[in-house]
Parts: sequence; C-alpha cells; structure tokens
Amino acid sequence: MTSQYATELCSLLIEDNFGELFARIFSTLQRYDRLTLPRLRFYSRLSDRQLHHGLAAMVQHHLIYHYTSLEDGNTYYETNLQSAYYLVRSGKILEMIEDRLGKYAATVMSTIMFLGHAQIAHLETLPELKPQRSHANGVGEEMKEEAEGQANGVDGEHELDELVENAAIHSTLKALAAHGYVIQVRDAQFQSPNDNVLDAQRVLKARPDVKEMKGKKQEQFLLENTERIVKERTDGDLSRGLMFNGVPQGVKRKHSQKPNEERREYVDIDEDEENEWSDDDFGGNSPMDSNLVVRVNYPKLDVALRNRRLVELVDQESSSATAQVYDCLLRRIEYQTPRCRDIAEIPREGEESEQYSVPIRLSALVDDIDPYLDLSGSIGPMEVPQGPARRGKRPLENGVHGDTDDREGQPSSTTNGTSSSSSGASRTYEVDQHLCLLAQPPYNFTSKRMIGGLINWTVEYRHLARKLRHTELERIIEARYGDVALRVVRVLHAKGKLDEKRLQEISLLPFKDLRQVLASMQAGGFVDLQEVPRDAQRQPSRTIYLWFYDPDRVAAGILEDTYKAMSRCLQRIRFERARLREFLDKTERSDVKGNEERYLSEGELKTLHQWRAKEALLLGEVSRLDDMVAVFRDY
Amino acid sequence: MSRAGAKKGRRLPGAEFSWDADPGGEADTAPTPLFPKYSVPPARLLSAREQLQVDQYRELRERHHEGPYYSVLDVAASAARKGSAARAHFDPFHGMPSYSRRYQKKKRALPRLQGRTYVMKFFPRELWSTIQPSFKGDGAGLDFPVTKISFKRGFEDDDEEEEEDAAKRRRRTDGEEGEDDEAAERDEEADRELLEDDEDAEEEIVDDDFEEDDDEMGGDYNAEQYFDGGDDEYGEDGFGDGGGGGGGGDEDVY
Repeated sequence: MTSQYATELCSLLIEDNFGELFARIFSTLQRYDRLTLPRLRFYSRLSDRQLHHGLAAMVQHHLIYHYTSLEDGNTYYETNLQSAYYLVRSGKILEMIEDRLGKYAATVMSTIMFLGHAQIAHLETLPELKPQRSHANGVGEEMKEEAEGQANGVDGEHELDELVENAAIHSTLKALAAHGYVIQVRDAQFQSPNDNVLDAQRVLKARPDVKEMKGKKQEQFLLENTERIVKERTDGDLSRGLMFNGVPQGVKRKHSQKPNEERREYVDIDEDEENEWSDDDFGGNSPMDSNLVVRVNYPKLDVALRNRRLVELVDQESSSATAQVYDCLLRRIEYQTPRCRDIAEIPREGEESEQYSVPIRLSALVDDIDPYLDLSGSIGPMEVPQGPARRGKRPLENGVHGDTDDREGQPSSTTNGTSSSSSGASRTYEVDQHLCLLAQPPYNFTSKRMIGGLINWTVEYRHLARKLRHTELERIIEARYGDVALRVVRVLHAKGKLDEKRLQEISLLPFKDLRQVLASMQAGGFVDLQEVPRDAQRQPSRTIYLWFYDPDRVAAGILEDTYKAMSRCLQRIRFERARLREFLDKTERSDVKGNEERYLSEGELKTLHQWRAKEALLLGEVSRLDDMVAVFRDY
Repeated sequence: MSRAGAKKGRRLPGAEFSWDADPGGEADTAPTPLFPKYSVPPARLLSAREQLQVDQYRELRERHHEGPYYSVLDVAASAARKGSAARAHFDPFHGMPSYSRRYQKKKRALPRLQGRTYVMKFFPRELWSTIQPSFKGDGAGLDFPVTKISFKRGFEDDDEEEEEDAAKRRRRTDGEEGEDDEAAERDEEADRELLEDDEDAEEEIVDDDFEEDDDEMGGDYNAEQYFDGGDDEYGEDGFGDGGGGGGGGDEDVY
C-alpha cells in the first residue's frame, strides 16, 4: 500500500490523532524510507529532544518500526503504514466490540488503543477502568453491590472493592483475548516484516546443518523455515487456553436476553456443563498474568468486520432470520480464523485457489442460535407443520425445559437428532434449510460438507471476497456510467476479450450507445483496448481490436482513488476547522468544555452543533470509503 | 496503396474506431468550459450505526488530544523562547497573554513520556534515556515505578516545565556520575552525549539570538516587552550564559 495517496492519508490520520510532531516524523520517514537518528534529524529539521520524545511515543503506538543492526549497531527507524492506517478504523472496531461484548469491553479496548500497548498491571490501576458506572457485563456490579452491603469505611472493604474491580477488568480482558481481539506484544512485532524475514534467515543460515546444504536445497529449506520462524516470533495469540468447546469465554449469547432469575435457576441445575464459559462466573476465574503486555490485534478484527459485511449483504439479499443464522455460522468460524488471508497481497483474478474455512457442525450451530428466533416464518411450508403456530405462544416454562433438554443433549449430539424432542429435530432441519438457501448461486454464501456422516457447513471466503470486490466495482461503474455500461462490463467480464462487433451482438445494444459508453469508460480507465495485428505491417485496417475489462487493474486504480478521496475529506475537515478556529478554541477552553449550555450563546451553540454535524458527515464519508478499502485490500 | 477500408466509402481506415461520440461528425474544437456545471451527488445521511462509529472515533481522538502525546510544532508565539523565529510571528493584538488564557487549551510541544510505565525492551536502546531519565544499566524488561505528574495551576507554559525536567535530569546525572563509575558505561556515555548535544543546541540558539538582538535593535526597544522595564534582559546579557530558562518565562505568567 505504499503509494502517494496512502502515505498522505496516513500522515493526515496521524496528524488528526496525535498532532503535527508525529506527522512530521512520519512523513519524513515515509519520504526517505529507513533512517538513523542523525539522518532523521537532518531531514526533518526537528530538535533532538523533539525527535527523541516523538519517536519514543510513536514506538509506543506502533506507528514506527525500529531495528537495531547487529553489524553497525545503528538503530534504523521505519514507518508502519498498516497501523497508521488502522487509526481510521478505530471507531468501527470500538462500535463492533461494544455491540458484541458490551460497553465496558469497548472502554477497555479504547484504553488499550489510547495507550498503544499496555501492561495488564498498568490497566488495573487506571481510574477510568474502575467499574463504577453501570456496565453491560453486570457481574462486577452485582458483586460490588454485595460488597457495598457491608459496613462502609472499613479497610477490608477497600481491598474487596479492588478485588471486584480487578475481576471485572480481568474477565473483560480475557473475553477480548479469547476472541483474539487483543494479543500479546512480542519483540519481533516492533521490527518491520522484512527485517524479521532477514533475521530469521540469518538464524537459519548460522545453523551447522544448513551450512552443509547446497544451492537449491538450501534455498528451499530457507524458504520453508523462514516463515515458520517469523510466525513463531511474532505470534502473540492469547486465545489458546481461553476457548471452551470452540467458543471463547465471556461470549454474550442470545439466550441471555431471558430474565435473570430463570437463567440462574438453570445454571444451578446443570452447573457442570455450561457454567464454565457462560458469562455468569467472571469472578471465579484466575486473573490474567499482570506482566503480560497486550495490544490490539487488527488482522483478527478485520476478520470480524468482514463477517459483519457479509451478514449485511445477506440481510439485503434475504430475510433477517437467515441473516441471523448466517451470523451465528460466521461467528463460529471467526473464532478459528486468525486472519483474512494467508498471503500478504490479494491474488490476481483467476489465480486464486478455493479455500474453505473450518467446517462447523450443524448441531453446534443450532445450539448457538437464539431459541426465540422465528426460523420458519421466512421459508416455505415444511413437512413438520406444527412449527410456526406453536412457536408463537409457547408457555415459558416449557421453553425453558426444552432448552435445558437441548443443552443436555448437546455433547452427545450424534444421537441428538433422533432421540431428542421433535422440536429440536425440526429446528435443526430449519436451520439447515436456511443454510441451504444461502448456498444458492449467485453468491454461494455457504457450502455443505458431510464429514463422518454429520452435516457440516463451511464458507468459501476467497470466492466471497472476490464477489464483494466485483459488486463494489459494478456499483461504481453503474453510478458513474449508467446501466448500459454495467451491462457491457458484465458481458466483458463473463466472455473475456471481445471484438466490438461480437460485443454488440451479445450485449444487444445499438452501436452508437455502445461506442459512447466504451469510449467514456476507456477514458476513465475501466475498460481497455487491445490491438492484435493480422500481419507484420500493423496496419489499422488489418488489425483486430479487442475490448477487455480487467478487474484487478480497475480495483487497484479505484483503491488509489479511494485513498485520495479519504485524504481529501480529512483535508477538508482541517480546512473547515481552520475557518472556525477562534470559535472552536473557545469551545475547547477548560471552563467551557462540558458546560457549553452555560457559557455559549444561542448562536454559538447552533454553530457548534452545525460544526459537529458537518464533521460527523465528513468522518462518516471517510469511514464509508474505508469500507471500500477493506473490500479491495483487506478481505 | 490499396485501401482495405475502401469499401466503406469515403471514410479513412480506422475511422470507425474514432474517439468521438458521433462518428463522421465534425471534430469539436471549441474550448471546454472553464467552470462546467457539476451535479454533485449529496452524501447519504449517516445511519445510526455509522453515527455511533463516528462518535467512537471522535471520542478516541479527543482522548488522544487530551492525552500526553498530542503535540504540535508551533506552540503559541508568546510562549516561544525570546528571539526565536516563532517569537517574531507574535501577534501583538490577539496574542497577549490575558487572564482567561488559563482556561485555554494548552498545546504541548513535546510528547510527555513521564507518568506511565514503559516496557523498556520494546524500545531501541538510544531512546531509553529519554523514556526513563533515571534509567541506568541494562535491565531489559524491567518495570519502573510511575513517576507522578505534578499538577500545575494551569496556565504556565509547558516548555518551561520541560526545561526544568531537563535541568533536573542534568543534575541527577551529574550526581550519579560521581557515585557509580563502572556501571553501564556505554549508556552513560550515550546519555552524556545526548545531553551535551542538547546543551549545545540550546546554548547556540540562545547566544546567537542575543547577539542578533544586540546588533540589530541595539537591545533597547522590544515591543513585546514594553512594560517589562528591560532590567532582566540586561541582567541576562551580563551573564551571557545558557541558563535562560528562568528568564524566558518571566513575563508569561499572566
């Protein structure tokens, strides 16, 4: 992603978040690539102290890679474009985490983002993470209430308080770690990927058995093992010990919308089964190692965002019940998918092999889905007719009983299909029907697998990512050149390179329209023309002209344009802010801030409101453009 | 030369692939309009979720801005050191420090690194002395106690304080140099180098600028310091040393 506009965008983002000093250092490094401190001082024209402090803070925020060479002892600094870019996605990530894990988890996450990387011990001490407000997990609060029930002002109570607070933060951190949203910081993550590869190769080459190998064989060996070593060194996965039955700890589950007492009851009944990972027992867990240093794991978050995007697409294409079923499937898959792609770059069209995600057992899936979700309403009538009527007004007790039943049967679900109640069986069938619906073309959201006689569902992500890219491109083409152009492009995409005459025959368009559209699209870089001379003279009359549409090329161009558009939006925000500078400075005064109503006049309040709306619109636009970038680059 | 396209009549070969929208028409040579009418598509309003996302982004950004790392390059001109280039851009009409300035959001020229713990092993060696001025030796991955931030009344300049820090650091290193000789020579050396650099730079700037002042304006008239009586200036001139930290901030208190 090293390009002019990507660089510009990253510098602007850094400036927006961290101020001019960081942006100056970043853009200097970006312009001159890898620099040592004296060189950097020379080029950036900053003072020594500015550089030292700036660099240290930027390393803390992972905005800069550093590498100390063993040969000359110099430390080289290099920009980290990826993490600079992810600044723009922070809002999206926090919103998603709040949606999934609750408000408190989002606060913890934003604190980690704010600190760059953070030691658990440090997080424990922060006042903003003490759960005095009502937070969605509810647990810490309950326990705190209990604690407060005792006499006030005793010293012992303080300790208990602290314990409770720490329990809340530890359980939340565990949930985040189990989902893979935070990872452990490793030394190697501070070095650029290239340095890591070179380091690994150096280590390998120093081994005596490798030294003895020759030529091709050695190369082959290096190639195979470098990746493994780099992975070992950078891998900071924390989720290993924290998964239970393939589901991370502390997952907010759909069933938990039921009244609380009821849930407690059933937990009491079959403690040994569910209790270990339902979100009731936060306090009982051992705390995380307080020396651990954590940071945000962006690749994993990309996986989650990709799933969300797919669910949105399904929601457009079919019923909301289907989308929810799909959401559950993707959620299950997400827990076992560390990143969107195994390779760094998006492969070229047609060179991508099929890659299926991990298969998920249907029975596990049925268990995840909200038992009150109306599955049968959105698909046609089935063999078991009692479904919809009964589900509407089922007595509560019965429902609870049924649930317990389901869950008890869950571990031995091989026999579940036959032995459990008919409602369970029909529900499984319904879920299967929904998934079958999703497996239909054109999207093929899912695909079915039989493993050992059990139904499993997987997702072919590469195909879907490609599909997303294509729909995005088609959307742009339609918006810019109209539906005729869209038809032409689709024909070209399906048939390959076409002569104008053939193209006209297939697309059933008059010559005039076709040419207009082709010419304007060529000017915009969406289609292109290939000349195939029939003889050596290359006379125009004896040359065949073929139109073609290359999605890779177009996508690369669009990606650049998107970066550019994003940076223009940010520049616009800066300009608008400069226009209102005096006023905004006033609103940021420490006495005005927080009680704007008291100190600002009516007109000023209105201006402030307008400014906020305007900024929100521009930032919203940036975040929409970021969605496009994600489709073209990350998924 | 026989034209292959002759059967198509008057048209030249290849003309059927012309760029023009209208084949056979006159080429349009008129200049394109300077300001053509654009139909700018209005952006969709933000959905509830997008609004949430934007709010979260802004909240985090606000936190960064309030946080210790947000730093700008040009601090307020009146806070700039005497005689520096920034000082010359001082706006005498709006820039005069007033009482209400204590409420103004303060801008930082340097990220503040004190006040939290760092894991040293993640940073390159040459930055260690910056992150933890008292740090000696090579205890990789050691944790350090949080140095408490001293709260100020609110309208002093950050610059001044940073200088104090530097001065303190200098003193500390001086003291420690006497105490432990062998321990971590390399680091200390680096440290000293760094400090020397720092001092050099500061001294240079200060000296130069005072000289300039003297030469160009005779050291007599300074609009920004009209009410100061100018006595401290003379005093500093007399010493002519680099310890201008105290003098620089004097008139900025109110």
